[in-house]
Amino acid sequence: MMTDVKQQIKIDESFYKVENIRKLTDNTISLSLPGSRFKYKAGQHISLGIHGNYQSREYSIYSGANDKNLEVLVKEVKDGYFSPKLSHLKPGDLVEVHGPFGKFFIDEKLIPNNKFVFIASGTGIAPFRSMVRTHANLDYTLIHGVRYSNEAYDKHEYAPGRHILCTTGDKNGNYHGRLTGYLNECSFAENTHFYLCGNSNMIFDALEILKEKGFDRDHIHCEVYF
Amino acid sequence: MKYHLITLGCQMNISDSERVSAVLEKMGYQKTDNEEEANILGILACSVRQKPIDKVYNKIARWNRWKNKRNLITFVSGCVLPADKEKFLKTFDFIFPMSELAAFPDMIREYGIVTPAGLKAPQPVMPKNEHIVDLWHIQPKYQSTYEAFVPIQNGCDKFCTFCAVPYTRGREVSRPSGEILEEVRHLVNQGYKSITLLGQNVNSYGLDKNGEEITFAELLRLIGEYGKQSGQEFWVYFTSPHPQDMTREVIEVVASYNCLAKQIHLPMQSGDERVLIKMNRRHSMDKYRKIVADIRELIPQATLFTDIIVGFTSESEPEFQNTVAAMHEFKFNMAYIAMYSPRPGAASYRWENEVQQDEKKRRFHELSEVMKIHTREYNQSLLSKTLRILVNGTDRKTGFSTGLTEGKISVRLDRRYDSLNGQIVDVKITGVADFSVSGEKVQTPALPKNERELVREK
Repeated sequence: MMTDVKQQIKIDESFYKVENIRKLTDNTISLSLPGSRFKYKAGQHISLGIHGNYQSREYSIYSGANDKNLEVLVKEVKDGYFSPKLSHLKPGDLVEVHGPFGKFFIDEKLIPNNKFVFIASGTGIAPFRSMVRTHANLDYTLIHGVRYSNEAYDKHEYAPGRHILCTTGDKNGNYHGRLTGYLNECSFAENTHFYLCGNSNMIFDALEILKEKGFDRDHIHCEVYF
Repeated sequence: MKYHLITLGCQMNISDSERVSAVLEKMGYQKTDNEEEANILGILACSVRQKPIDKVYNKIARWNRWKNKRNLITFVSGCVLPADKEKFLKTFDFIFPMSELAAFPDMIREYGIVTPAGLKAPQPVMPKNEHIVDLWHIQPKYQSTYEAFVPIQNGCDKFCTFCAVPYTRGREVSRPSGEILEEVRHLVNQGYKSITLLGQNVNSYGLDKNGEEITFAELLRLIGEYGKQSGQEFWVYFTSPHPQDMTREVIEVVASYNCLAKQIHLPMQSGDERVLIKMNRRHSMDKYRKIVADIRELIPQATLFTDIIVGFTSESEPEFQNTVAAMHEFKFNMAYIAMYSPRPGAASYRWENEVQQDEKKRRFHELSEVMKIHTREYNQSLLSKTLRILVNGTDRKTGFSTGLTEGKISVRLDRRYDSLNGQIVDVKITGVADFSVSGEKVQTPALPKNERELVREK
């Protein structure tokens, strides 16, 4: 009888069972969900909720558009409300997913003749991992600003020389200091498209630097984390 | 049997309420303005600010007290945040998204019967919008005989940090263009003069369909073509567009057809780049400036309206002054200025609200004064001109008729013309105030359609 009752309960298709959790640092995980129901473009984000909770948050998709699973990168915010709950999920727990949302993706027509510079602070690297995993022939450089070098999430996946780690808390990255400091020292080819993702202060400062370097705002794409 | 409906918030809720009325009246209920004599009491809620939500709580507390004395059915719909929804489930008889309005008669008939939905099955917290098309199939009971709102799109994918709409109305869904055109044609045939296409991001129309629906510009073009063929004089507006999806093509189409009103409402929210980024507005001032330049080039006679928030979380004085500078630069004909108030459910609710209320008030007044300079200057330019206006009511103070120009400039008339309500007439402008003009009706022969441009306001 119990089995019959269970069969009658239709689980809404917005719900996904957590399939796997990869611990990347002490406070950062990659949450992996079944991806088969979900079509998205690399760079887009989803709205993520936890079953039984009345809040949701937006997360950029961390996996490639053709990957088997849908992944998001979650850093537990100290004294935060939502991220600690996500961090304590176990395989089999239900999460609610809506999306994909947003226009923070690459126009595929631009890929053959252009360079791409990805600028990320912290977990703002998520959409860029998705882009790199999705577009095979991308001529890209990823500038990633973090406090400590262990926050270079999945660094081994990026081709040598393409991932520039800027660290402020230790000297184990490629550049010691803020990523905006590194950016100030760089020069870029004219046919470069910039993609910025992270907190609003970093995005504003990086935007100003790029505009001062003469790049058109139309070539600078932003995704704000909040 | 009577029903009483309270509609809070924006034009989308007003439009939705016309469909709720249609459903209830089809069931035999009559509308009443007196809640004490109603058998069904409903609210279309608004979650944009705290005040309307407080009103919902006050109302339901009062209505539930009446339940001890008589039989009542209460419901709430509209924009409701998940946290409020949980509380309303315990206090209202029904809570449902507008997308389920078509099923409302069945809900009422089955009132008292527990549905076999299996309460243990997890229910999504975020609203799902795929059934919103059922709402649009309901023929609304329009509240006016000359002004109507036509929903063309529902929901929001933009996630501005000050706003909770994506969590109350769900993701963007476009209404089929055939239905929209049909409703517009029906309204024009009924003699409607002002038709407003509605959507949370009205110009994102069609984008959710991935090429299987026409674009917003194409939709406007079809309406424009119909307007040309109809031989009728009417004005079609749209609100609210998002600068991110505003194209030059849209502006070109508006410029090309007489029936597409030469009034653009383009929310700016802030004139400062850093604040725009913090608001997650997804457009820069450069982009906004480019759109306004396109409007000024292609539709020089257009009036320009906007929305602005002052005192957003950490907005500094220099950042606010950039908004003041933008107000001078764009010379808006109207700006709906709001003092920032954190809304539960919006991302910014979790941030420190650093700007003190007194400072927000000061910024509000400073910006309002700047707006006044430009609205008055524009209104002054209308003096002695003869404009087409839609007569739409009476002035509370004088009792004289009032109206709106095609550009939505308020006009106070020199006497009361009850018989002209809902008609477009010629008015010579004789006086100017900060936010309105005054004038007297003049007799002019009806002009051929292609000459109507000559009497527009610039």
